Amino acid sequence: MNTLRAVIALLFFPGGLFILFAGMAYEWVDRKLIARFQNRIGPRWFQPLADSIKLLAKEEVIPTDVNAILFVVLPVIALAGALASALYVPIIGLEPSYSFSGDLIVTLYLLSLLTLCTGLAGANTLDRFSLVGATRALTQMFSYEAPVLLALLGPAIVAESWKISVISEYAKSHWLIITQPIGFLVAVIGLMGKLEMPPFDAPEAETEIVAGALTEYSGRGLALFHLGKSVELMVGLTLVTAFYLGGVANPLLFFAKTLMLLVVVAGVQSLLTRLRIEQTVGLWWRYGALLALAQFLVMIAYEGVA
Amino acid sequence: MQSQQGNKFTIPIGPQHPALKEPEHFEFNVDGELVTGASVRLGYVHRGIEKGTENRSFVQSMYLLERVCGICSHVHATAFCLGVERLAEIEAPPRAQAIRVLVAELERIHSHMLWLGVGAHEAGFDTLFMYSWRDRETVLNLLEDITGNRINYSTNVLGGVKCDIDREQAAAIRQGLDFLEERTTHYLDVVTSDMMFLRRTRGVGVMTYDESQRLGAVGPTARASGVARDLRVDAAYAAYDKYPVNLVTETAGDLEARFVVRIKELFESFRVIRAVLDDLPEGDLTTRMPRRVKEGDTISRVEAPRGELFYYIKSNGTDTAERVKVRTPTLPNMASVLTLAVGHQLADMPMILVGIDPCFSCNDRMVSVKGTLDSQCWTWEQLRQYGIEYYR
Repeated sequence: MNTLRAVIALLFFPGGLFILFAGMAYEWVDRKLIARFQNRIGPRWFQPLADSIKLLAKEEVIPTDVNAILFVVLPVIALAGALASALYVPIIGLEPSYSFSGDLIVTLYLLSLLTLCTGLAGANTLDRFSLVGATRALTQMFSYEAPVLLALLGPAIVAESWKISVISEYAKSHWLIITQPIGFLVAVIGLMGKLEMPPFDAPEAETEIVAGALTEYSGRGLALFHLGKSVELMVGLTLVTAFYLGGVANPLLFFAKTLMLLVVVAGVQSLLTRLRIEQTVGLWWRYGALLALAQFLVMIAYEGVA
Repeated sequence: MQSQQGNKFTIPIGPQHPALKEPEHFEFNVDGELVTGASVRLGYVHRGIEKGTENRSFVQSMYLLERVCGICSHVHATAFCLGVERLAEIEAPPRAQAIRVLVAELERIHSHMLWLGVGAHEAGFDTLFMYSWRDRETVLNLLEDITGNRINYSTNVLGGVKCDIDREQAAAIRQGLDFLEERTTHYLDVVTSDMMFLRRTRGVGVMTYDESQRLGAVGPTARASGVARDLRVDAAYAAYDKYPVNLVTETAGDLEARFVVRIKELFESFRVIRAVLDDLPEGDLTTRMPRRVKEGDTISRVEAPRGELFYYIKSNGTDTAERVKVRTPTLPNMASVLTLAVGHQLADMPMILVGIDPCFSCNDRMVSVKGTLDSQCWTWEQLRQYGIEYYR
């Protein structure tokens, strides 16, 4: 029975197919919202699915002078990391499929795999746009990773556990956005940085470096990276919602809260101008990290007193 | 990786690149994200238009020259008409001259709105891009209403204009301008107060007054550096002496100033168009134009939305021009891109490039020819052969 349950959790629900389709649905909502904010019509509901199918069916061109194995394997690892992280978060408000002490750290690591793989994929090819994109992607990762970690550790400290299920259980009765507003902001903006959404899309700024690190990718590899990003959008929204927005007790609350958060994220994306990479780094280390740290210290002091 | 000379890391932009809407090749040497050198190779869209005018009559050349630029087609036709009319010693009637000014200013609105969108897009501010292009539809519709075309209006004919403005059209224009004025006020507010956008424009690509003089910048690019030069004021042509334009200059010389100058010019255009509509002279639209144009040569200069547009026209007494030379404003402004690029971030390159409002295919002329022929004058057959050899 246990094996069957594991297979279902991995391949169908909540990991695997479900999260893939849900991720694509959320990606569509994101694209549609931005389009409407920008006075465009936007894609039809099946567009992300159609894009993925088309890309998956296309021939993958492997450029010369790259490590072919890495070139093929990196997108797989990226998607696998994103999919695996879905097993540890309370998707649609259910208990996480797997849970152990410290799974928060593992999940954050799994979520970073995508960026790491993107950076490596860019560095693997000789294309100049890819190299610049890879440098920017990794630079950006090093700037937001620490503040985001601090932001997500805030709830962990007040819940006195590093287990996502315990934290989300605690958050159901505490709206942490009110007690830790800075953490919430840093987490949401960090999520946008992770997903390379505007204004943090310098690593894939099309007017400068074409498609950044993924310039050489076509066909299957590109599809897998895109799917990984969609899954990560879903997982990231789930994490932030579960931690900061009063938890996700049931599917209805889950969808209402994550979609509301997505509206905010889409609004920010359409309002802001792209930051240069050095501005992104400056923003994170000068404000993001310091603010998160300040809140962290306040919390520790408060906990210590109480 | 051929163009990676020595240990320089070169980022190519173009001839095919998402930042460029037309093919032109730029190479930026970078050290990390910092640009240390820039070079350009022009000429990917050379179309032989100047040569083409040499075996077309003046009337047929009008059609060709309107297509030098897709965005500022009217000023090209105006420059050519004014030059040929001067050679033929006729003058278009006042009403025609006023309509030329009216269409030219509508075209300037269309061009500047388009540029505003492109500039915002290069900065990654796609919302402003979408909004300004949506509002630009208003002026395109007005132009379609007047001339029948959204671009390439072919308003001009030698000796006058083709289309008249009636009462209803005038009312529609006024209404459209009211809407645009409201939107433009908003955009001026956005580009001068949006903190995130200012981070990408304020203090970026600063060109001082001296530098702009040395590099020979023209048009709004120069006016953003405090150069008070505008042919509509300095050498008023068509009906600009009757409907004077106020110069718009800024002194900062950075990208923000270029945004501000162009947006403020929109307000000037609104004002001038209203003045033309208020005081449109009655009378004919055309005068009789002789088929053969007297021998002689002339220089015709007009202010295109991008700056000074220069035409040299030489007639040999037949119905065909012997030589037509076109210099579009992108060429003198190009030097400023290469100079300003050095020392900036790679991320600023698209914005600095677009800051001059480049129009590459208008700009491409054959300047020097390496080859076996010594003669300055080539026949069609020789040109054709050269083209075949070049691309072989």
